[in-house]
Amino acid sequence: MLAIAEPEVAARSPLELFWRRLRTDKVALISLGAIVFLTLVAICAPLVVELMGAPKPEVQNTKALDEFGSAAAPNAANILGTDDVGRDVFSRIVYGTRVSLTVAFLATGIALFLGVVAGLYAGYHRGWVDSLLSRSLDVILAFPVLLFAIGVGSACKSEEGCAGGALKPGITTVVFVIVVPTFPYFARIVRGQVLSLREREFVEAARSLGASNARIMFREILPNIVAPLIVYGTLIIPANILFEAALSFLGVGIEEPNPSWGAMIADAAATFDTAWWYMLFPGLALLLTVLAFNLLGDGLQDALNPRTAK
Amino acid sequence: MLAYIVRRLLWMIVLLLAVSLITFLIFYVLPSGDPARARAGDRAPPARVEAVRRQLGLDKPKVAFPWKDSQIRRYYDKLVLHQDLGTSYRSNNAPVWELIKVRLPATIQLALGAVVVWLLVAIPVGILSALKRRSLLDRATMGLTLIAISAPVYWLGLVMLYLFDETLGRFPLVPGFDSYPDGGLTGDPAAWFESMLLPWIVLAASFAAIYARLLRSNLLEVMDEDYVRTARAKGLRERDVVVKHGVRSAVTPIVTILGIDLGVLLGGAVLTETVFNIPGIGRLAYDSIVAEDLNTIQGTVLFAAFFIIVLNLLVDIAYSFLDPRVRY
Amino acid sequence: MRSKTRLALVTAALLVLCTSIAACGGGDDDGGGGGSSDGGGGQKGGKLTVLNAGDFEYPDPGASYYQFDYMVHYATARPLYSYKPDQASQPPTPDLASGPWKISNGDKRITVGIRRGIKFGPPVNREVKADDVEYALERAFTESVANGYVTTYMADISGAPTEPGEYKDIEGIEATDDYTIQIDLERPTAGITAAALVLPASAPVPREYAEKHDEKSPSSYAQYQVSSGPYMIRNDHEGKAVGWVPDRRIQLVRNPNWDAKSDYRPAYADQIEIREGNEPVAASRKVLRGKGMITGDITVPGEVVKEASQRYKDQLELPLAGGYRYVAFDTTKPPFDDPNVRKATTAGMDRVALRQARGGPAIGDVATHWIPPNFPGFEQSGGKAGTGVDFLARETGDPAVSAKYFKAAGFSGGKYEGKDKKISLVCDDDDPGKKVCLVADQQLTQLGFETDTQFVQHDDVLGKYCGVPKNQPNVCPNVGWIKDFYDPQTLLDATFNPVNVLPENNSNYPQLTDKKLQAAFEEAEVLTEPAQRARAYAEINKMITAQAPAVPYVWDKQAAVRSEDVNGVVNDSNALFDLSFTSIKR
Repeated sequence: MLAIAEPEVAARSPLELFWRRLRTDKVALISLGAIVFLTLVAICAPLVVELMGAPKPEVQNTKALDEFGSAAAPNAANILGTDDVGRDVFSRIVYGTRVSLTVAFLATGIALFLGVVAGLYAGYHRGWVDSLLSRSLDVILAFPVLLFAIGVGSACKSEEGCAGGALKPGITTVVFVIVVPTFPYFARIVRGQVLSLREREFVEAARSLGASNARIMFREILPNIVAPLIVYGTLIIPANILFEAALSFLGVGIEEPNPSWGAMIADAAATFDTAWWYMLFPGLALLLTVLAFNLLGDGLQDALNPRTAK
Repeated sequence: MLAYIVRRLLWMIVLLLAVSLITFLIFYVLPSGDPARARAGDRAPPARVEAVRRQLGLDKPKVAFPWKDSQIRRYYDKLVLHQDLGTSYRSNNAPVWELIKVRLPATIQLALGAVVVWLLVAIPVGILSALKRRSLLDRATMGLTLIAISAPVYWLGLVMLYLFDETLGRFPLVPGFDSYPDGGLTGDPAAWFESMLLPWIVLAASFAAIYARLLRSNLLEVMDEDYVRTARAKGLRERDVVVKHGVRSAVTPIVTILGIDLGVLLGGAVLTETVFNIPGIGRLAYDSIVAEDLNTIQGTVLFAAFFIIVLNLLVDIAYSFLDPRVRY
Repeated sequence: MRSKTRLALVTAALLVLCTSIAACGGGDDDGGGGGSSDGGGGQKGGKLTVLNAGDFEYPDPGASYYQFDYMVHYATARPLYSYKPDQASQPPTPDLASGPWKISNGDKRITVGIRRGIKFGPPVNREVKADDVEYALERAFTESVANGYVTTYMADISGAPTEPGEYKDIEGIEATDDYTIQIDLERPTAGITAAALVLPASAPVPREYAEKHDEKSPSSYAQYQVSSGPYMIRNDHEGKAVGWVPDRRIQLVRNPNWDAKSDYRPAYADQIEIREGNEPVAASRKVLRGKGMITGDITVPGEVVKEASQRYKDQLELPLAGGYRYVAFDTTKPPFDDPNVRKATTAGMDRVALRQARGGPAIGDVATHWIPPNFPGFEQSGGKAGTGVDFLARETGDPAVSAKYFKAAGFSGGKYEGKDKKISLVCDDDDPGKKVCLVADQQLTQLGFETDTQFVQHDDVLGKYCGVPKNQPNVCPNVGWIKDFYDPQTLLDATFNPVNVLPENNSNYPQLTDKKLQAAFEEAEVLTEPAQRARAYAEINKMITAQAPAVPYVWDKQAAVRSEDVNGVVNDSNALFDLSFTSIKR
């Protein structure tokens, strides 16, 4: 008798379904590609600048300015023009990707980690751990975020930094002020998910098999919330990029002379009506980067929950 | 319900005290500047710097146990016992409350105006997009909204000024930068309105986008529900179905985030106020932080936190009216 | 983000100091130019609007210490002596005083007569007496007023406290009768002390009215001040200055008790409104395009100076600030303890580029030494061409000369190659200071140094770093100084005299320790005749320049603008518009 080979019917996990849907979303894939491209640019910034024949970002070319010290418009030597001390705008934008992406990935990553751990413990153990966490989150969430960031950023501006030197000015401080108001967001989401998941059968099953609490939290519950975490993470990254840029715009973020897109816009703010280029291009860089992340996040969200798909 | 409100109000007071404590730590303990020296001036001889230090009460230790005379004790005595926010170093000992009072109207006007603008835009756009999902209109608006969310508000402000500012712009239309009239709304309503147009639009842009998308996705979810399908099967028009059932269910999440957003904006939209030089609380907060004017910082932070907490409470109360399942 | 203009004005802290002027102080009533002081005759009436970035530093005339504060106080309070708008010389014009001061008793006594019939404004409304001047000076020494300059320039008054404290009747300040004030000194420095009477601290304060306010610390007289000049801050019946809303506006109205015949000021405008919180670029533009406005404490930024010099030429005023801007070396530590390294670095810097970062040629000539144009001692120092040193001969820098001095220091390559190449800089984090700093930073790097640059908040540049010798970096690229008075001692003493190094709020950044220089200062201090003093200080200027303690790059002008319909008169002593002389064309 001939054996009929039946196709295997395998149940697809939610994660697999998620990836499948994502693969068909062209817009999301394009934005993913853009993000990968930007990351490469950030890593190879010196190479990019050299390939394009642009001057290095810290080189001030005062000869390019007019006698009043005004910035030079886009020209052959400076394809996107210069700022008001003669530094090339294109190079500074390229190097600026480093700042934006570093801060975004690092800060979001740390916030994610802290939020997940906090949310897991609070949601799983409940009781006083949960109360303590929720009350602390309440306080953090009541504090006006931007003022907190401006305050800490401003206080830690001097060379010795603050908190006994733990927070040096620049990236360290910026990451700190972004992590603090961001991790409650993740903690709340994770906590909510854990609260509903902990009652499910697979958790009970694991417990009856003698699994430790830690094992249950990290091996059983965590994998089930990875997908939404990826989505929320990807949505928070653009917000954090904008946040860092806003802090640099206000002068309490990335230190001079490191190029940050927000700081470049701040420099340009006084002369934007005559020297439009060094206000426009950093802003466009910000816009496009954030847009890419938003599109990707959108795509991820649709893949996770197809009912809201376009 | 009443008990709930009272409990929340008490918790609010606890939160405000916690916030003021954190503020004290950040702004008194962390920084290394010397407000007395800054106030006394660059050429002041040391004796005068010391005299100013005594005037400002900065010669006392910052924190002292157990509750002895110290800066933190003076601060809480004034705040809790006399409801006095203290005086500003930077502004010639003007009472902090006066400084805030003068600037509160501009911030409130900016926030409320922006809310009106973004709701007026977001609601029709959200509904239309949901009704005509996947049409060209839908895709175009969704694309636009994403761009609006992705643009930094201060950059958008500068671009708007570059295009439309009456003095500097390419297509002069409205006064923009630094044009908030001295008397505010009551001083010169026409000038006030003109000067607020661009700030309202710029501030509202990203919020309008977010709310439109939120409304749209909520409506889409609802449209797939069984009871809606039933209504459709009964022969009701798509539009009525969506509007009656969809909007009603979308109201709750929108009210929630509206409360949060309004709470934050009432504490001062620092970036917008900076770009347009609007004399609001956000600008005051920023200026006082940079100048290390400690009492003013505390005042503005407390105000901002107060608005956030109160708006949250109002939202939760509104919930109980909107969603009958919610009971306090 | 927005240029903060305070650096220019704070470094200009108008400590009007006259050192040992001619023993017979005073001169004729008509000070300088006569007719042109009047702005060519203006029309009475109208409302003048002043656009300001900030507010008073100290509204109390007894405590104020800042150019903008003086702009208002010289319109609302009459000191004993003052300067007419284009009076760029000693001696000042008698104002509240009835005539020149008299010095006697071996230069230890000053006697000043008070004009009769001058009345305080509301709500005091009575005649000003000599006791009011006595009280004004005495209260400046108290803790609740804590005036910043009296303990330095009036310290020799008999019985004057050395530190701010409780009010006391100072025996050296005495109203001998209702219209005569007499000041007695411990040392024969009547010249300096008399000249200091141009300060607003000598403007009268009614004792019986102010005493209760002075009991608070800080004194609330600031909010309740009484006018003696042509204008007053609008107040209520109790004297509270309701026209002053902190950080928003100051409204000046006419003082109803002011007698025009007793004052050289014409006081044309009927009302003056100072609007605060403006952003310099936007405000300057508004003034240029609008009506009835002038800039107050705003130094017009470079980009608007450009626009104004091209399209609004006659609305732009560029008075000399009467000082210099420079890049200071710390000569107490390597590598700038070596004069050859300093000279080499000075020769290697492009001063035109430094000036360009502040606005270019429009804002002044490239400086070659430490006394600006139109100032006694300028020509004697060599004028624009310089004192003759080769390392400052070329404005754009001279690589050959620079290499020569580096070689003399032992670096054969013509650039700095020593072991102390890592140098620290402290910069302002906001324009225009930031721009200058960036330019200086790059130039130093090109000379072989490795710069470690900190960008700090504006107040901290001087307050925490450059003004505190133990925290001072190797280079302070963005410092400046302005005259206190039309005497060269005020330009050089605080900044280069070896004895003037303070532990805090120090202004002598280079900290030169040359004994010959110190002796030259000591000798010049006691000279009395103006021409003699100019010559002596020109020699000191040359000595300082020869040691290359710092790189002067511009004798700056302080740009101000006015609207088309405003007849703006700048008071040179302040480099700001004079509110009592500016009028609206009608």
